[in-house]
Amino acid sequence: MSQEIQEGIRVRARELLSVGEVSCIIGHERSAKGRVRPAFVYDEADAGRLVWDQTCHHNLMVYLRDRVLLSRRQDAPPRMAVVARPCDVRALNVLIHEGQVTREQVFVIGVACPGMLDGEGIQEHCQRCKERVPVFYDALVGEPPRGKVQDDTWADVAELESMTPGERLAFWTQEFERCIRCYACRQACPGCYCFECLAEQVDPPWVSIAHGIPEKAFFHVMRAYHLAGRCVECHACDQACPMHIPLSLLNRKIAKEVEALFGYVAGGDPEIPPPLATFRKDEDLPL
Amino acid sequence: MDPMNENFEPKIVGFLCNWCSYAGADMTGTSRIPYPPNIRIIRVPCSGRVDPLYVLKAFQEGADGVLVAGCHPGDCHYGDGNYHARRRYALMHSFLDFVGIEAGRLRIDWVSAAEGHRFAQVVAELTEQVRELGPWTGLQNGG
Repeated sequence: MSQEIQEGIRVRARELLSVGEVSCIIGHERSAKGRVRPAFVYDEADAGRLVWDQTCHHNLMVYLRDRVLLSRRQDAPPRMAVVARPCDVRALNVLIHEGQVTREQVFVIGVACPGMLDGEGIQEHCQRCKERVPVFYDALVGEPPRGKVQDDTWADVAELESMTPGERLAFWTQEFERCIRCYACRQACPGCYCFECLAEQVDPPWVSIAHGIPEKAFFHVMRAYHLAGRCVECHACDQACPMHIPLSLLNRKIAKEVEALFGYVAGGDPEIPPPLATFRKDEDLPL
Repeated sequence: MDPMNENFEPKIVGFLCNWCSYAGADMTGTSRIPYPPNIRIIRVPCSGRVDPLYVLKAFQEGADGVLVAGCHPGDCHYGDGNYHARRRYALMHSFLDFVGIEAGRLRIDWVSAAEGHRFAQVVAELTEQVRELGPWTGLQNGG
């Protein structure tokens, strides 16, 4: 399965680069130590570097935006091809809606995703994933897997909801205590693209440089809230966190509420504005 | 109530919109309507200006409760600021509760410039509610 996808990606990459349709392919490669890492391929001859398997968990949309920014002063923005799983394409949808990239700049090599591996089995959030084929793509590699999709019961969120507020506070205090403020979660997140993050803002200094739990909690809670209605649940933050803090749990709580209150799921139709960027005059919300 | 909290006076930060709620608070004063002195008022241009960041920062800096008040929906001076605030804080309530800050500590309400009585009532209700919940000591700076 993964072999097939990897071969498909390489073939596509060679094709695109040889006719000059794109200037760069953003994919994955294997490092000398055997771990996968993001790769940028500019030359047809290097297409063999590209790899794909079920451990390629990076959300590559992060790099897409950086490239567009770097080339803003050039005459024509470069066209890039990017290897994208269904969740990555949802993130791309968010970026397109927010005007960060245009659809024309990106050639999407969609991957019919069998799910990411975590140790032995398929990761929990991948088992819940409803769309195994990206919502849009320019080329598709792989066969849509026929595995059974688990219904999203929000069991992880409900478990915490059933606690008392005091217990929840204790839970999060314990989790945030481990945070080393490396900001890897933010860097890995396709939705976190502020020029100046509130965590590093000097004037006003919203988050002090102290290494205390209040500062860590403040950063994580605000980051999650900034992603309200925008988080596509690719779980790149969880993967990036060196301290294994269940960061996406915060996002999932918001996603659950957003779906209940506004009937909105992030990353779908780019024509529908995100819930916190719009309103309805006659709505009745619990305040 | 915890005997240690017997003399507990909640600190409440109130973000009031300039055009309705702040004027409403003024009306409470000029009408000589008594209300709890626990609220510290911060005047903002619009309830839509109140970034959720401010609310969280208030909790971090020692507030026991937060009030966000603006014009009634449909009456916003800028047209639609309070509609945005309404969505933002409908979501914020359950999210703060999820991280352990009881939903009762945050109140969103609409107070018009003429509703002096209503402002006094909102502040009194919130103060009592927060008094019941006790002091907020989690996730704070300097203990």
